[in-house]
Amino acid sequence: MKLRRSMLFVPGDNAAMLSTSFVYKPDSIMFDLEDAVSPREKDSARLMVYQALQHPAYRDIETVVRINGVDTEFWQKDLEAAIRGGVDIVRLPKTENAQEIHELEAHVARIEKGCERPVGDTKLMAAIESASGVVNAVAIASASPRMVAIAMAGFDYLVDMHTRRSDGWEPELFYARASVLHAARAAHIDAFDVVYGNVNDDEGFLREVKIAKQLGFNGKSLIHPKQIELLHKAYAPSEEEVNHAKRVLAAAEEAHRKGLGVVSLDGKMIDPPVIDEAQMTLQMAAAA
Amino acid sequence: MKVIKEAIAGTLESSDLLVKVAPSHKGTREIVIRSEVIKQFGKQIRHAVTDTLDKLSVSDGSIVIEDKGALDCVIRARVQAAVLRACGSQELDWGRLS
Amino acid sequence: MSATGDFYTMQPKDAPQDMGDIGKLLAANDLELDNQVEVFVLCRQQGRIVACAGLDHYTIKCVAIAEDLRGESLSLRLGSEVVKLAAERGQYHLFLYSAPHNLPFFRGWGFYPLVEVPQLVVMMENSPVAIERYCHRLREQHRPGRQIAGIVLNANPFTLGHRYLVEQAAAACDWLHVFVVGEDASSFSYADRFTLVAAGVKNIDNLTLHPGSEYIISRATFPGYFLKEKAIVDHSWAAIDLLLFREYIGPALGITHRYVGTEPFDLVTNAYNADMRRWLQQAASAAPPITVVEVPRASIDGTPISATEVRRLLARRDFTRMRQLVPDTTLQFLERKFSVAASSTQMKGQIA
Repeated sequence: MKLRRSMLFVPGDNAAMLSTSFVYKPDSIMFDLEDAVSPREKDSARLMVYQALQHPAYRDIETVVRINGVDTEFWQKDLEAAIRGGVDIVRLPKTENAQEIHELEAHVARIEKGCERPVGDTKLMAAIESASGVVNAVAIASASPRMVAIAMAGFDYLVDMHTRRSDGWEPELFYARASVLHAARAAHIDAFDVVYGNVNDDEGFLREVKIAKQLGFNGKSLIHPKQIELLHKAYAPSEEEVNHAKRVLAAAEEAHRKGLGVVSLDGKMIDPPVIDEAQMTLQMAAAA
Repeated sequence: MKVIKEAIAGTLESSDLLVKVAPSHKGTREIVIRSEVIKQFGKQIRHAVTDTLDKLSVSDGSIVIEDKGALDCVIRARVQAAVLRACGSQELDWGRLS
Repeated sequence: MSATGDFYTMQPKDAPQDMGDIGKLLAANDLELDNQVEVFVLCRQQGRIVACAGLDHYTIKCVAIAEDLRGESLSLRLGSEVVKLAAERGQYHLFLYSAPHNLPFFRGWGFYPLVEVPQLVVMMENSPVAIERYCHRLREQHRPGRQIAGIVLNANPFTLGHRYLVEQAAAACDWLHVFVVGEDASSFSYADRFTLVAAGVKNIDNLTLHPGSEYIISRATFPGYFLKEKAIVDHSWAAIDLLLFREYIGPALGITHRYVGTEPFDLVTNAYNADMRRWLQQAASAAPPITVVEVPRASIDGTPISATEVRRLLARRDFTRMRQLVPDTTLQFLERKFSVAASSTQMKGQIA
């Protein structure tokens, strides 16, 4: 199971960050061709990302490219650069409906054929940044077998909703988070929480991480390397959770050894999802 | 590709480079490189630049590079970007780039 | 991460409210505002302007960064934004003038020193090879001879006075190189001035006419805003212009003598000619000294022929009097261009 706790945003036009971001070892690195790059520099950033994708240091990290939206003149060229460069996942910003995923998918397949990359190799993820996106999240999440994740993007969404961020449990994001999460779970894909923009406020960041983790988000989009370690530690299972997970897996192994169809621990039945969760817990503990 | 106008790409920031491409008056290809690390990496920088130019079939032009310690992949990207801008080119022939 | 903060560009005329803040930032850096700046790159952090850099055609001016942010990354980002802005405006070959102690700062921007007046001003350009290539092109025009003359003319417009100076130099030397100042800071455009000079020297055989270049600097475009004493701005400009001539242009063409018109009662001209002697002849330099030859201006009825007077006569369309001051070629050109039959809108704004 691929851990997707931390997705680090790296501006596609920033040479220093492209050259060093892999040292921070996030679970995924997202090269941004969209909001971080001015229109005049889109062409140059595209080539930077194309080249960086092929750098040996990025072979061991899951790579994502945020292309420009399907309503721009840039997105198809962005796709060429990303897919030919060998990106793992293409992230579509401001996804409004499933139709956009279908359109994206068609071009991705065309380009894969053109560069002799196995068709289906490139995965997709959608960023939800508006009310429409939220209400269409279920359709979006299940729009393609290539879909591996869906992300909630707070800033544009709140503008669309005529409100703004607040402290505490952030009621203004509740419905959107819940929708995106349910859509992700129903489609069996991963869910990412919003970017926390104030890089100087670690406490605020961790408060939000706690909310996201409790809701069940796989991870969060990050804009600063220091947020990676904070996030991984916050997601790290407790000793108690680790011990319990070990016991669950031990029980599963024993049942398998004995040829039993049912796994039980402390008199209770253990369903397969619980076993998956136990594996994930140990994985996260190892990667904290 | 034919260099028809002046163009730049890149920045002066650390780990980046600024590439200036201009038409040549003499029909020659002239590459000038300035770098803080010219002694250690001059050869590599020049190789990355000439290889990129060769792949784009740029046989004449003036290319001036102000390097700030960029990796190979960054050098290639910036040279490609500057050349495409200097050739007034909209369409990319991806086969020529790697 | 000191390179954060918003970078944006603005034109002084469009955002007068920013100019106060820019002025303050410059003042804190011991600089004044140069009114010829056409566009600024600014950086704001939390509402405060923390960095600025201005562009006047191809000259970068008014560069300042708030003291608490003088780390490298903000400066390099500022430099990159200025260079990008200039490129968008079609300017790829850039110059700047600065106090010499800032030389390392601007080296980081990819600028290379051309000439320096110690402790006063250094002139830089954004290329390690441009001046070299320019000199290489000049050397192709090198002529053999023991005495090679050089004259720099603004020629606004070309008069019999200019003609006289040129004739004197050509007669005394094996070859004469004439340069026309390139910038359009005069009443007549560079194109017109050059045309008139070319026509006026056509029959002189041992002469090469050179187009203007960015390495011959007119006084109007030299920025003095960073020099504390206004009195030395003229001298600084002269020094830079003359050092370029001494160290680059002269050697490329083998120039041994620089000819200039002189006027006993004109203080400005005399001051400049004194600077000429100092920088071309006397100053220590690896480049050979160039002898300054001052030729008394040609005069009519005891009055030195001046281009200013010609412009005055032109404003009055007094071609009759003008005939005494300019060669036929200049007269015909002016008559054609500024004839009475031409529309009045053409005349307005062209000749002050």
